[in-house]
Parts: sequence; C-alpha cells; structure tokens
Amino acid sequence: MHRRPEGPVQFMTRYVIRRLLQAIPTLLGVSVISFVLVYNSPGDPILIRTFDPNITQETREILRRQLGLDQHWTLQYIGWLTGVTLRSGDVVEEFTRDDFHCSYAAGLNTTFCNSGGGILRGNLGTSIATNQAVWERLTERMWATFQLGVSALLFSLLVGVPLGVLSAVRQASLFDNSVRVLAVVGNALPSFWFGLMLIYYFGVIRGWLPTGGIRTVSLTYEFDLVDRIRHLILPTVVLAVGGIAVISRFMRTETLEVIRTDYIRMARAKGVAATRIWFVHALGNALIPLMTILGPAILGVLSGAVIVETIFSWPGMGRMTFSAAVQRDYPTVLGAVMFFSLLTILGNLLSDVLYGVVDPRVRL
Amino acid sequence: MTKNRFSLLAVLLVAALVLAACPQPTPVVETVKETVVVTQVVTQTEEVVVTPTPVPPVQGGVWVEGSSADATILNPILASDSASFDVLGWFFPSLLGQDPFSGAIVPTEMAESWDVSEDGLVWTFNLQDGVMWSDGEQVTADDFKFTYDAIGSDLVETPRKANLDNIESIEVLDPLTIQVTYGEVKCDALNNLGLGWLPSHLYADDYSDVMDSPLNENPTVSAGPFIFNEWIRDDNSTVLRNDNYWKGAPNMDGWIYKIVPDPGARLAQLQTGELDLIGVQPEQLTTIQLDANLNLHKFKDDGYSYIGLNQANPENPQAGQDDEGNLVEQDPHPILSDLAVRQAIAHALDYDAIISKVYLGQGYQIASNVLPAVEWAHDPALQPYAFDTELASQILDDAGWTDSDGDGVRECNGCATAAAGAVLTIRLQTNAGNTTREDLGALVQDQLNGIGFDIQFEAIEFGTLVGELLGQTFDMVIIGWTGLGTDPNDDSFWHSKFDTPGSGFNFVSYQNARIDELLEQAVSVPGCATEDRAPFYHEIQKIIHDDIPYVFVTGSVGNTSYSKKFNGTNPGPWSFYHNIETWSLAQ
Repeated sequence: MHRRPEGPVQFMTRYVIRRLLQAIPTLLGVSVISFVLVYNSPGDPILIRTFDPNITQETREILRRQLGLDQHWTLQYIGWLTGVTLRSGDVVEEFTRDDFHCSYAAGLNTTFCNSGGGILRGNLGTSIATNQAVWERLTERMWATFQLGVSALLFSLLVGVPLGVLSAVRQASLFDNSVRVLAVVGNALPSFWFGLMLIYYFGVIRGWLPTGGIRTVSLTYEFDLVDRIRHLILPTVVLAVGGIAVISRFMRTETLEVIRTDYIRMARAKGVAATRIWFVHALGNALIPLMTILGPAILGVLSGAVIVETIFSWPGMGRMTFSAAVQRDYPTVLGAVMFFSLLTILGNLLSDVLYGVVDPRVRL
Repeated sequence: MTKNRFSLLAVLLVAALVLAACPQPTPVVETVKETVVVTQVVTQTEEVVVTPTPVPPVQGGVWVEGSSADATILNPILASDSASFDVLGWFFPSLLGQDPFSGAIVPTEMAESWDVSEDGLVWTFNLQDGVMWSDGEQVTADDFKFTYDAIGSDLVETPRKANLDNIESIEVLDPLTIQVTYGEVKCDALNNLGLGWLPSHLYADDYSDVMDSPLNENPTVSAGPFIFNEWIRDDNSTVLRNDNYWKGAPNMDGWIYKIVPDPGARLAQLQTGELDLIGVQPEQLTTIQLDANLNLHKFKDDGYSYIGLNQANPENPQAGQDDEGNLVEQDPHPILSDLAVRQAIAHALDYDAIISKVYLGQGYQIASNVLPAVEWAHDPALQPYAFDTELASQILDDAGWTDSDGDGVRECNGCATAAAGAVLTIRLQTNAGNTTREDLGALVQDQLNGIGFDIQFEAIEFGTLVGELLGQTFDMVIIGWTGLGTDPNDDSFWHSKFDTPGSGFNFVSYQNARIDELLEQAVSVPGCATEDRAPFYHEIQKIIHDDIPYVFVTGSVGNTSYSKKFNGTNPGPWSFYHNIETWSLAQ
C-alpha cells in the first residue's frame, strides 16, 4: 500500500501546526528568563513609589504584601503563570477579595489563593503603576503601534527596494556610492536626534507638519484621516530610516546575485529588454529572500518604536513598556515582553511560510 | 548709460524684494488688563474722566498643558503622583486654600472661616454655602468626613494614611460645620487637611467600592472650575468648563493635559502653539527668552539639592532611638563622623561655579534647611559656607588628615575618628539618568580630590539608590527634596526617631538631642503664631548649618513658559492656575 504524496496545502498546514507547537516551549523559556531578569533587576518598585517622608513603613509593607512582592520570586512566578499563590499560615481573611478567593489547607498550614488569572489562562496580570489589567493597557496602545509599525515597514520597502535595485543596476556609479554612504549614515543615525531635527525643521521652522501625537488634541473627538496621516509622516520616516538602509543594501546584493544566474544570461541572449530583465526577472527573484528578513524587521520596528514613540509622543506599546521598565512595573513589562515575543515568533513563522509559498524549493 | 541705469534699477528691485521678504521684528505684546480707566482730553481746558466701560471677557479658547507623565488615577485619596493631581485638582473641592504668592493657608476654598479652641486642639471650620457638585447635589461636611474616614478604612489602601496622624475625631456639627479634634497641638496639622473631597453620595457607605470605583478613571461629577470629559491614557485628558462653578464659570471652553514625554518635543510644541504651558529645562531658557510669543515665569521652588553625609557606619546601620524613645549611640562613620571632614567638604566646593555651570544659573546658595520662601522662619543672617580651598586644606591638616606618602590622597595621621593610616576615601552616589546630578557629582569629585580626598563617584539606578539611602548603607549622596511646602517643619529629616534603617528619612543618622527638642517645641507652640515659632527654627537652622549633616548645594528655581493666548494670567510660585476662571482669550 502506497502512501499518497502529501499536497502542498496539507504540508503547509502540518508545518504551521508543528511550528506553533514548537512556539509553546519557546514562550515558556522566554517567560522564565524574562521573569528572572525583571524580578532580579535592581530597584524596589515599592520604594520607588513611596520615597516620600509622609508615607509610613506600614503602608509600604501593606502594598508589598498586597502585590505579593514579599514572596520568593519562584512563588511569584508560579502565581504569575497560574494565578495561584501560596502563603504560609491561615491568611484567608487578609487576602480574600472580590476577585481573589483563598482557602486554608490546615494539613499544609498554607493558604492557597486563586485570582482566576495567570498567563496560562491568558491573563497577563494587573499593572502595579496604574492598577489596570495589563492586557487592557496593551490593547489600548496596540493599534497606535500597529499603525506606526506598518507604515514604517511599508515605507522602508517602498524606498529601500527601488534604491537597492537601482544601485545594482548602476553598480559602482555615483548613485550607487551615494546610496551606500546614505545607508551607512541612515543605519548609524540616532533616532532621537534625527527625530528632534525633523520636528524642529518641519514643525517649528516650517510649520508644515505637527510635531507629535497621534492626532490634533481637541475637546471633541472627530476622526480626521488627513490629520492622522499628517501626524504619521515624521515618526514613520524616523522609524523607517534604519529599515531603508538595511533593505537597500540587501536588495542590491540579492539583485546582483540574481543577474549572474543562467536564466538572466539566457534572457539577455534572447534579447529581452534590459528594463524587463531588471524589474521583472531580477527583481521578482531577488524579492524572495527579502521574506527572510520580515521577522527581524518586525522586531526592529517594535524595538525602534520605544524611542520614536517617546520623541513623537506617540501613545504606543513601546513607550508604555519603556516607562513601565523605569517604574519597575513588573507585570506590564512582562506582559509586553511576552506579547512582543509572540509577535516575533509569528513574524518569523509568517516569513518562513511566505518563503515556502513563493519558493517551493524550501519545502524539500 | 542706459544699461547702467537698468542695472541700478535691477539692484534696487532685488534689494527691495529681499527687504520685503525679511521677517519684521515682532512687537512684544504686553498682557492687557481687563478693566481700563480711560482718561480723555476733550477740550484744551477741560479734562473729562470717561466712566470705564468694562471690557467683556472673551469666551472660548482652550489651554493645553504639556506634561512628561500621565496621570495614574483620578481619585484624590488614592493618587500619589503629581500628574494625577494636575488633572484631578480641577474636580474635587478641598477644605483650605493656599495663597498663590506666599503659600499661606487662606479661606479661599470650602472653609470660609475657622475657629480654634484655647488649647489648640479643636478646630471648627465653617463651610461655604451653595457649593454644588455638577450632578446637583450640595457639597457638605459629610463629603469631608466621608473622605477622611475612607482613608482610615481597612478596605482602602492609600498612601495617605499618615494624613490621619494625630486626628482624634472628625465630627459633622451640621452640613456646613466640621469639627476636627487633635490629640496634641501640631502647628503643621492643617497641611494634612488639604486633600480633595470625594462625592460621598456616589460611594457605598462602608467604603467598599472606593478602590475599584469607575469614578477613579471617570470622575463624572465635579465641584471645581472644570468637569471631566475624557482620558486617553498616555495621550491626553480633557476637561470642560463647569458652568455652575461657585467662584464663577471660567471663560475658556476647556483645558487639555497633553502627554509629551520628551523635553525637546515639549519645547517644539510650545513654539508651534500646540502646547500653551510647559516646565522649562535650564538649557531651554535662551530659546524661550528669544521667542516674543512666549512668557517666562521664574520662581523659587520649595525644594533644594544637597549632599547627604552619613554620620553612622554604613556597615552597621542602627535605629536612632530604642523602644522607649531613648537615643541609641550610633556606630560612627569612620570618616564622615569627623566634623572637620564635613567642614572641609563644605568649604571645598565652588558653589558659584556649580550653580552657573551645572544648574545653568537656575539656583541660589542656601545656608541651611529652611528656605527663604518660608520667610517668617528663614534666618537671613545665617551665611552659607564660603568657597575656600586653603581653609578646607588647613582644617584637614589640623584634624590629622594629611598626605604623608605624597600620593595626593590624605590619610589619617592622628585624626579623631578613623584608624591610623586610613585613607580619605569616600563613596559618592547619585541616581543615574539625572544629568544635572551626574554633572554635579563629577564636579564635586574633582573639587574634593583637589584637596586630597579620594572620592569614588558612581551614578546608580534610582531604585537601588533609594534602597541604599533608606538602608543607610551609603557614604555620601547627591539628591534633593522637592515639595517641602509652606511649613518649615522637616523633622522627618533630622529627628532621631526617624533614623530607622529601611524606612526612616533621617537616613544620614543625624543625632542631636537639642535638635530633637527644638523640632518638637517648634510645632507645639500654643497658638502656633509664626513669631513664636520662628526663634525655634532660627536655632534649628544654626545648629544644622554648624553640624553639616547635609552640604546644601542650591535652592531650586522653577521655570515655566506659557503662551500669550489668554489675558489675565498671573502665576504665583505656589499656583499657576489660581485665577483661571478669570482668564480671557486675547483678541
């Protein structure tokens, strides 16, 4: 009996499921490493919040116990993961609240409390700084970061790809050298400085573009697409500069590699027009490896967003994560790290799947 | 000839165009007063005074304040950060007002007058009648009592528990009369009664919903000049005019609190008119001063920067008092417990250079712990330490700290506190990320090393620094106090009962029985008259100046810059917005 050969759809489905299953231990590993790093970083979140002579030590201790920060980090990790916290002795009355059920196990002399949360149940916990659900904090800002990230990614592709191909076409020309220099400069440009320069020139001196924010603030909210786009321009440019530099260099190399292949030589020999060779045959094939940098590019945009969102007062996740780290808001930092990790894993998976779709050889 | 004439014409034309294109100097617009008395000469001999026609205030307009941080919670008894108070301050009435210029407590808020019993323990406050919440309920004494009882409730976790210290009871005599009874006379007790009041009719009587109330994020009722409109976290908060505000509805339509984390971006937005008010960094002052569209408000802030000198051995932190309140003799710091070393440090620093180079001129030298802003308690006769490196070196020589091996660092050769041969090495720390303090640290290190110290300077993360401070495991620290308020009582920094490793703010382990006594007497003077309290504070300042537990570096200067969009602004050091209801859009 012969096994029927697997079709591309079944293959891909199995591949995606396998990769998603592999993501589970990866995420668990990320959770342990990030938890240990975050909870053992210097600085006490309670002391940072209560460095005030008017706040009593008793208040500090109450806050510390309520947030579970008085426990060993391993117990805190279990609580964060499962929503179940353990405390020695009978402290049912002290800790039971509306959403926090506790029971005392006399044999173990331990009180078990169940918050109904834990990241295994999809609950990222509650922010120490704002007392909001971390998931709520993330989702409030997700859309803003998504807008900025997607527009920066598109802008880097739209500018980076043609620059790379043209550099390859005009290899060793003044244009090619200029693009090379600009790529080095673009990669090295500190985004906080570049952002402030753009704000100063286009916002303050010329008055052409708003200097920050996601929209013009007003007492009444009305959606205005033009206003949104105007606010998006400067942060997009700053966030995209690094990407443009990387993509243009990558595309130049790939294009040069493709044009040395036999089928391009054959096309030339057959007398196909040079433009058609470059922009149809060469570009189409050179674009395929670009898929591989899609995952890292998403990560680059997310990490770059920390600075750009701060400079441009953009209410996104990057800025929130940065300020949460400064404030030692552990649950928010961990929630954001887990979320970013998931996005990175999905981004890598997406680029691998797309690569498989456009280039069947990788499935072999 | 014709060609030359054309050339000349062309040159003139170009010059005219260039001149026309040049920006004209913008006239400086002075703030216009609302009421103008017009004196008009009608004939050569007769002068007629025309009755002033009140200029009607212009309605409308929005004021946008820029802030680096967003509010965290809009509940006056749960909030502990200044950004939250910036926003919630518009909604909740408070018992006592504050003079925007002197900082004195004044009857401009809910208490229109008050009486105090002869023994100084019972305070009776008479409240304003007719103040309404925006939902139509009257603001009464019950709201005040509810708020303070909520703070005391076990169900409410609040950093404000200390506001109840020394209060024995709060009684509502009638809806417009409150009586607060204290356990002992405390002249600064009124400061604890300044919190905003919660609208008690919207909360459960047992305070069970205070922590989780939706009002904490969406305070729908207000008794202040503005009503809450919207809060988009990390972006902006908006408030709208309260047409029924008891002091008169503001002319402006609303106020926006916009979050702009980067200081450079805040300045840019002020210049483009996207913001109307920002706090100014010293390095931004020149830009502000050159911009004719902006006002600058400079004021002496209620804070100072200092170098804290740990008097006790950081390897053996001990509490300053035992359980019975007796002084516990401290294990002295091997170097800094030597008064001569502290005097040498105080004389070795070039305060003028520090203030001009590090603080960019935004500071002033102070002699001791009570700032000139608290005029009645400040002792102007006390002189700050003079910069004199020769004197500093001489003091160290005389005290037995000399450089016997010629390596440029002094050792103990007959000094009073350290072992013979001990090197004059001291750690100096501050919080990383505060560039002013980091610059100051480098300068202090340089200047002290110049007279034979070996200063090991490091900037560490703020949370770690706070741990070292409260744990009393540091040697010297560069830090500062802000928000000291209008009362000079700062016993938590100096009294031995606050020398408690891990929690107390007398973390320099300063011990002086006379200071303990004076601090206690100064806040329990019968009648609390300032002229009776002042002598105690003068003596306190003198002793602290002489003992040098802190080297006082500079008093803080605040700078805010604001647009000329509204007439009537009159900022004081204690309040920018005290008369906002009278502001009127400039035409």
